[in-house]
This record gives sequence, C-alpha cells and structure tokens, in this order.
Amino acid sequence: MKELKVFRLLFISFLILSVVACEDEIDLDLEEGRTQLVVDAFITNDSNIQVIRLTTTAPYFLNEATPTVSGASVKIIGPAAVEYIFQDGGNGDYTYDPSTQGRLDSTNFTYRLELSYNGEQYTAHSKLNPVPPIDSMTVAFEEEELGSEEGYYTQFWARDFVGTQDFYWIKAFKNGEPIRPDNPSSLILSEDAAFGGNGADGFVFILPLRAAITNSDEPFEIGDVSSVELLSLNEDVFEYLDQVTIQANNGGLFATPPSNIRTNIRDINGGLQDEVLGVFSLSSISRNAIQIQ
Amino acid sequence: MRYLWTIILHLPFLLYSQEKYTISGYVRSAASGEELIGATVSIPALNTGVSTNVYGYYALSLPAGTYKVRYSYIGFDDVIKEVKLSEDIQLNIELSESLNELEAVEIEGESAKKNIESVEMSVNKIDAKTIKKIPALLGEADVVKSVLLLPGVSTVGEGSTGFNVRGGGIDQNLVLLDEAPVYNSSHLFGFFSVFNPDAVKNVRLIKGGIAPEYGGRLSSILDVRMKEGNQKEFTGSGGVGVIFSRLALEGPIKKDKASFIIAGRRSYADVLAKPFLNSGLSDSKFYFYDLTAKVNWTMNEKNRFFLSGYFGRDIFGSGFIFNWGNATATARWNHIFNDRLFMNLTAFYSDYDYAFGVEGDDRDDFEWSSSVVSQSIKPDFSYYLNNNNTLRFGGQSIYYDFKPAEATFASGGATNDISLPEKFGLENGLYIQNEQKFGSRIKVLYGLRWSHFSYLGAGEKQVFNDTIPGLRKTLVESEEFGDFESIASYNNFEPRFSIKYSLDEFSSVKASYNRMTQYLHLISNTVASTPVDLWLPTTNNLEPQIADQVAVGYFRNFKKNTYEASAEVFVKDFQNQVEYIDNADIFFNDELEADLLSGDGRAYGLELFVKKNTGRMTGWVSYTISRSERKVKGINNDDWYPSRFDRLHNLSVVGSYEYNDKWSFSANFVFSSGTPATFPTNRYEVQGIVLPHNVNNSRNNYRIPAYHRLDISATLVPRKNENRKIQGEWVFSIYNVYNRRNPFAIFFEQDPDQVNRTRAIRYSVIGNFVPAVSYNFKF
Repeated sequence: MKELKVFRLLFISFLILSVVACEDEIDLDLEEGRTQLVVDAFITNDSNIQVIRLTTTAPYFLNEATPTVSGASVKIIGPAAVEYIFQDGGNGDYTYDPSTQGRLDSTNFTYRLELSYNGEQYTAHSKLNPVPPIDSMTVAFEEEELGSEEGYYTQFWARDFVGTQDFYWIKAFKNGEPIRPDNPSSLILSEDAAFGGNGADGFVFILPLRAAITNSDEPFEIGDVSSVELLSLNEDVFEYLDQVTIQANNGGLFATPPSNIRTNIRDINGGLQDEVLGVFSLSSISRNAIQIQ
Repeated sequence: MRYLWTIILHLPFLLYSQEKYTISGYVRSAASGEELIGATVSIPALNTGVSTNVYGYYALSLPAGTYKVRYSYIGFDDVIKEVKLSEDIQLNIELSESLNELEAVEIEGESAKKNIESVEMSVNKIDAKTIKKIPALLGEADVVKSVLLLPGVSTVGEGSTGFNVRGGGIDQNLVLLDEAPVYNSSHLFGFFSVFNPDAVKNVRLIKGGIAPEYGGRLSSILDVRMKEGNQKEFTGSGGVGVIFSRLALEGPIKKDKASFIIAGRRSYADVLAKPFLNSGLSDSKFYFYDLTAKVNWTMNEKNRFFLSGYFGRDIFGSGFIFNWGNATATARWNHIFNDRLFMNLTAFYSDYDYAFGVEGDDRDDFEWSSSVVSQSIKPDFSYYLNNNNTLRFGGQSIYYDFKPAEATFASGGATNDISLPEKFGLENGLYIQNEQKFGSRIKVLYGLRWSHFSYLGAGEKQVFNDTIPGLRKTLVESEEFGDFESIASYNNFEPRFSIKYSLDEFSSVKASYNRMTQYLHLISNTVASTPVDLWLPTTNNLEPQIADQVAVGYFRNFKKNTYEASAEVFVKDFQNQVEYIDNADIFFNDELEADLLSGDGRAYGLELFVKKNTGRMTGWVSYTISRSERKVKGINNDDWYPSRFDRLHNLSVVGSYEYNDKWSFSANFVFSSGTPATFPTNRYEVQGIVLPHNVNNSRNNYRIPAYHRLDISATLVPRKNENRKIQGEWVFSIYNVYNRRNPFAIFFEQDPDQVNRTRAIRYSVIGNFVPAVSYNFKF
C-alpha cells in the first residue's frame, strides 16, 4: 500500500502525459450523519507545551473549522500512576506544560489516555518508542527533471534501530513552515528505514525518504533553512496516518474504496467503540537542520 | 447431477446404429486458404447439417446414397457439391468471398440461421472486419473495446483494464489468445488492448451456457483466434495512426501447405516528443509495442501443426524504470484419427511480469519484479458419433509459478533482498460432453467437468485466527512444506447443460445452466486494475471461487435472416469472492492472506440484442439491465452492496454504412448508468488535515452520474486504388463527439488554497473530444 502511493503519483503523471484527463469541482448534496467526538492527541517527549485537541465531526461541506469541544476531562497516566492533567483552554485545545510535572519521556513505557465527556469515558494506550538521532544533513544543487524544479535539494541521514520493528513520521520544514502548506495530508511515513515491509531493518533511511524533505515544486534557495523532525510511532498510529494519506488523497484511476479510518481510542473497558474518532500517539522526537549557503 | 450420469452411462443404448458413411474435411477461404470457423455444411434434402469446428473441420455421417451438400459461410458464396456416398470420403472445400456483399442480398443460407439453430447461447462473435469498422479512441481498432459494446459486458470506466461480464470481476474472464491465457490484456493501463487487430481472425465471447471444455474462470471466456497466414500469396498490411504504427506480413512458406503471419505494433509518442523535451527529460521512456506471429503447416490431410506466439511490453521511465508485459506461446497439433475422431493437442506457455526500479547508483537502489508463469497441456477430442451426437472429451493440466515479489534494495551502500517466497499450483481438469439432437427441434448439450487444484510446495502453510470481521487476522501457526508437496487441495464437479428448442423456422428458445470454478485470484484493491496487481493461487485460506449461472433466452431472426435478435435473462450466484480489509497491504506482505476477506455475490439481468449482418447498413443495438452485488462480513455492516462495476442500464448502438465504393461511415453510441461510489457524510480534522467520514459505515452508497458518449468515423478509399499495387485507405474519427466530460470517479479533498474548505472533484479520464486520422494500407 505504501508503494502504491508512489505508483499512483507515477500513474497520474503518465496519464496526464498520455491523454487529456481532467478534474473539476462539482456541487453535490450529501446525506448528513450524527455528530461524533474527535480526539487529536499527538504528544511528544519534548519540553514544549503539549496539546490535545477535541473537536466534533461536521457535515462534509461545512467549509469552516469543525466545532470545538470544551468541558471534557483529559489526562494522561504515566509511570507510577502520575497524572498529567490537560487544561481545558475553552477553544478545543487541552494543554499540558511539561515545566510543571515534567516531560512525558519514559522511553518504552506505555502511557494511557483517559478522557471523559458527556458522562462517557474513553481510553487509549500508546508506548513511547525511542527515536534514532539525525546524524547529518546534506544539500545538493539539481537541474530540472520530469516533475521536479531546479534548485537546492536536501537530504537527512539517520539509521534505523537494529533488531526492532520501528515506525516513523518524518516532518520536513522550510524556514520553520511545513514544506507543503497547501497539502497537509502529504505525510512522510516509514517502517524501519523504508516505505513498508520488512527488510529495511537497521538501514540508513532509503534515498526516496532521505530526499522527501524537499518539495520538488519549490526546492530550497540560498539562505533557506531546511529542517527535519523524526518522530517515533506506534504501529497502530503508523497505520492510522497511512490511512490518513490514502483517504485524504483517494482519487483517480487507481483509488481504493474509501473507508473510515480506525481509531485507537477504546471504551473504558478497552473494547472497540463507535462514538469517538481520532488517535492518541506518543512519540520521541529528534531534530536537525541545515542552512543553504 | 445423478441424471447426468444416467444419461452418459446409457448413451450407447440411446444411439441406434445403421450402415453409414462419413463425409469430412476442412472448409477454407479460397483467397487465403485460411480455415473458416463455424461454416455450415448441410444436406438441404434431409434438413440436417453441422458446423465446422474452430479448426475449420467438419464430419457428417449419412446412409449410403447421393446427396447435394451445401457449404455456406456468412460473407461467402455458397458452394453446392453433389456427393455419391458409398464409402467414407474426405472433401475439402474452398469458399469465395461474396462480391455482391453490398447489394442487400437476401440470405437464406444455413449459416445465417446459426444463432437460432445452434444450442449455444449467451455467445457473441465479432470478426476482425467488424472490429475495424467500429470508431475507436485515437482511431485504433481494439478488440476489448469492441467487446464492451456487447450485451452483458461493462467496465468500471474509460481507460481501465479489462471488462466485466454479467456481474463478474475482471479476473473472472478467461482471455485466450490462441488458447494461451493472457493475464493482463492492456497496454497503457487500459486504453488499448494487447491484441493486434491485423493478426486477429475472430473473437468469441462466451458468457453463459459455457461448455465443459472450458474451465478455470467464473464469468466468461474471451476466445481470440489469431489469423493464419495467407496460403496462396504474399501479402502485407499496416497503418500509421496517432498512437501506433503497424505492419503485418503474411504469405505461404510452401503454397497450400505452410504459411506464416507476423504482425507488429509500436507506439511512437516518445519518438515524436523527443525533439521537444529539454535535457532533463530527454532520456524519458514511454512507449509500448507488441509482436504477434503464427506459423501453420499442413503435413498431410491427417496432421496439421500450428505455432503461435505473442510478445508485448509497456515501458516507462524517467529516473525510474517501470515496465510490464505478456509473453505467450502456443503449439497445436490437429490430428484426424479417422473420419469421426478429431484431436487437437495444445501446449502453451504464458507469462505476465512487471518490473519496477529506481535508477540509482550502487549505493542507493531499488529493484522489484513480479511474475506469473503458467504452462499447460490440453488434449481435446471430438468424436462425430453420428448425425445426432457429437461427443467431446479431453483434459487439461496447468502448472503455475507465482513470484509475488523479487526485490532488492540498497540504502547508503548496504543491500538487502526483500523477495517474497514463490507459490506454486497445479490445476487439472477432465471433461466430457455430448451435443445431441432429438428430432429437428431439440438440441441438447450436456456434460461434466471435473477440476482439481493443488496448492503446492515448496511453501509455507499459514493458519490465521479470524476474530472481528473486517480487521486483520492474526497468524496462529505456520508449517513448512517441501517441493511438490500439496499444501492444500480442492476438487470440484462442474455440471453444464444447455438446451435449444426450435419454435419454428425463425425462432427458438434456449436455456442453460453452468457451474464454474476458479482457482486463481487477482489481488487488486483499486477501482481500475493496475499493472502491478498480483495473481495468486487458491490456498488453504483463499478458497476457490465458484459461480452457478442459469440463463434463459428467446432467439429470433427477421426479414429472411437479415436481422437476428435475442432476449436473455440470467441469474448468477457467486461464492468465495475476494475482498479486502480496510488498510489492506497487498504488496510486500508475506501475510497477505490475513488482509483478505471472502464473501458472496449475486448478479441478475436481462439482455436484449438486435443485429443486422448484411447490406449496406450493418450493426447492432444492445441493451442490458442488470444488477451485481456483493455481501462480505466486515463490509457495509455485513449487508448486500452494489459491486464497483454495477451499472443498471447499459446501451450500445453500433452502426456502419457503406455509402459507396469510396466512402463509408460508422458511429457508435453508448449509455450506461453511473457506477456506485462511497461518499462521506461528515468531515473531521486531525493534525490540520480534513478527513472524510461515513458515519453509517456504508459501502457504495451513492452513484456517480451516467456515462454516455458518441463516436463517429469515416473511411475514405481513394478511387485510384484499383490500379495500384498498394491499396490505401484513410480513416477519420472523432471519439466523444459532443465533448462530454464523463466522470470516472468523484472524490473528496481538502482545497489546497483554502484548507478549511472541502470539495468534491469529478475526475474524467477523457474530458474532451479526441479527433484522429490514420492511414491503412495493404499490398
């Protein structure tokens, strides 16, 4: 499936080359469904303020930010039953400041999310996996090629841990902003040091991943800063984000049947539930950056 | 089932014997020496007759006496021979093409009544001539696109690979090129098919009443027969079009004994584009080609040999390599043991493979290839017992070798082999059938096919635990098997039965039942199949697909057989249809079967068909109303849902008009209901990404708008042709004349310019009208 995304890009470019395929926006009436709670909880071992965002679903063509939720009680349970309470900001953001009770940095510990809202209680688990350091970054000037513009292209160099199955999310920035602000769903994910499958265990991240940190439509120019964050993921979160990229870009000749993304949030007894959407994730994070000179 | 055995066992007693002699032989075209398939050989005085088989052979048993034997074939002048029958004789006949084809001749020949007289139903035939008349995308006559215009056939959309027959998936069609299966029938993802019309003799699509000789797929047999080379003289043909240039050469190796044909095509968009590409793009590759060849040799009247082959590839690349293609080879031996026993022995090899790679250096590299290879031997016997009974029996054995992935990659100088293990399978079939006449009105075809499949080692038997339907299964245990050890095996009996009852001289009713078993599965989770989709064998987890079909039809000819018409109703029941869990991982997954679901299917419909075969105006109208549904645990709340290729209405109008010797015109119009799609009800946000959500968990809950299209073409044959050695013609065509933007799919996305906005996008594969000119020649 991860490879398929690569192919899909290739296919679409071929189709554009070979025939007059076209896309245009149309008006549609869609059936509306009941409203559900959405949990957006990506927590890192960092020292900056940690945010869990609670919103609800909305009709598909609402065309404004989805409604926020306040009045929920949100906490994460750490080692020795330490409770990290997330404060309701009234705007959907529930925040925790690590300078109060410390960072959530117990590597290999499985943290637990506890959430109660409208008299219902939910829970989720996520293990804080370690992340390898980004050893270095390199830059090279490249000429225009099929599907890529002329400019400076950077790569990051890191090596996957040997002997474990690891999952990562690679976030790339240009001068502190995401490299593709117009396409927030183009996530770079990796399983060990490759797109998926087994066999890349303990490798240096493969070339297509190393090179994915440059937007080939707008490569870097002299003076720009290219920076990278490497986040460790749990397998269920990796699958969740993988589904996010598929479902958010599921068009064209080789689309897969649209399906709902499975949440890792459970009812209080740990069973599957059908009320809350979203995901709970704990990540270790490592960073590096390079300025183009 | 039991009654069938009773009939077979008592067969000898049902047949009475009498002193009879056999007249047999081949029916051929006088111009090229090519055998005519399905020509009629009749004795008007006795009101009896037979048809030639796919090798042009016939045999007719008659009491001693003198008869007038009439040989007829559509588009050819009849030949009547007087025969004194006092011993078995062999009589080969050559028929000449009618010169007065354009004059609206009234045809009363037996061949024109074949559709009402024969026991076969749910069968459509198209010859190469008809295929070439149909207006086509970019002027390229295409076998599969022509098949799409037949009743009961649909597609998920323009530009997609394959076709769907009576509610079945694209992998449920056995696509045969000179008896070798073709695993991917498309060039350029699905815009063109692999069959070169210059090398095709005729095409038969069998959708129901499938005879026991065929097996291995549930929904249809697309039997493409390659042309034999001209036995009499050396000729050539070819064309220059927008996409392809084509050349075919044929001629005798030894006059009337052996001949060859070789035909090739290559796309040349890359050649034309080259001067306009800048340096970064100049080493880009995008082209496809195919080569089709056949040799036949008549050793003597008892033995004929055929060798045919196909090789084609699509090649793309620009910083990466991506190519795919089929290769097939078929060897056949026709042997006449005696006047009544005809044998065809076929051996074939068929390979489909693809390769993908990144053109890196030694330090950073990725190479991946995958293939399915099958080899088979297939003896088939026809025994012309007497005029009322034609027996056929035979068998087939196919050995499969699947390589899901052979792959290596390198990163930063370290390399690794990430290949998945090969899988093997052996499919065997045995069949017997009898076509029997009861009086002048009733004809019955009955028989049985036994099929057997072994999933063979070396390999691993994986056992999974299935807890919650729709979620990934977990591996419980696995067991290693050695070379050729059977990991899992299945047996199936497939009864087949068809009956025809003639109501009068111009009409008949027919009914049929067939059970089909399929041991191969195309693992494809996308709307349109991609070249990288995997074929996998039946395993201990993936059970054989089974379909039962009942069809009933009324067949009638009008205006002295100028028009043929039929109405058919079918009902089909499918078992063990493959579906996928959400988030299924179908590549590089050594536990792929944990991601597969199995479900039931059903399809039913009515097909109406009227065809005009002769005269200046020819063509057909085909209308199908049908449903195709699936029910899979874990999908759509375990309820029935329409399959992705379900289209309620499907109409095709195909017409061609010969205005004069210089100009002819063709047009076709298609209309089909929109395919189903899954639309969201709600949206939500995670990490600033707007995601679609269907709160009811339903599958295929909406329909995309209907598809319709008109294509036209005009063919100009210059008058000065007559005195020329090279005969040329110009074909002008317009595809999608009224410029309709037919939606292939509707999908939903976040607006890149306003991240808070979501929108529905109509995706059209071909969003404009497409004009084209091509020049064809022959010499």
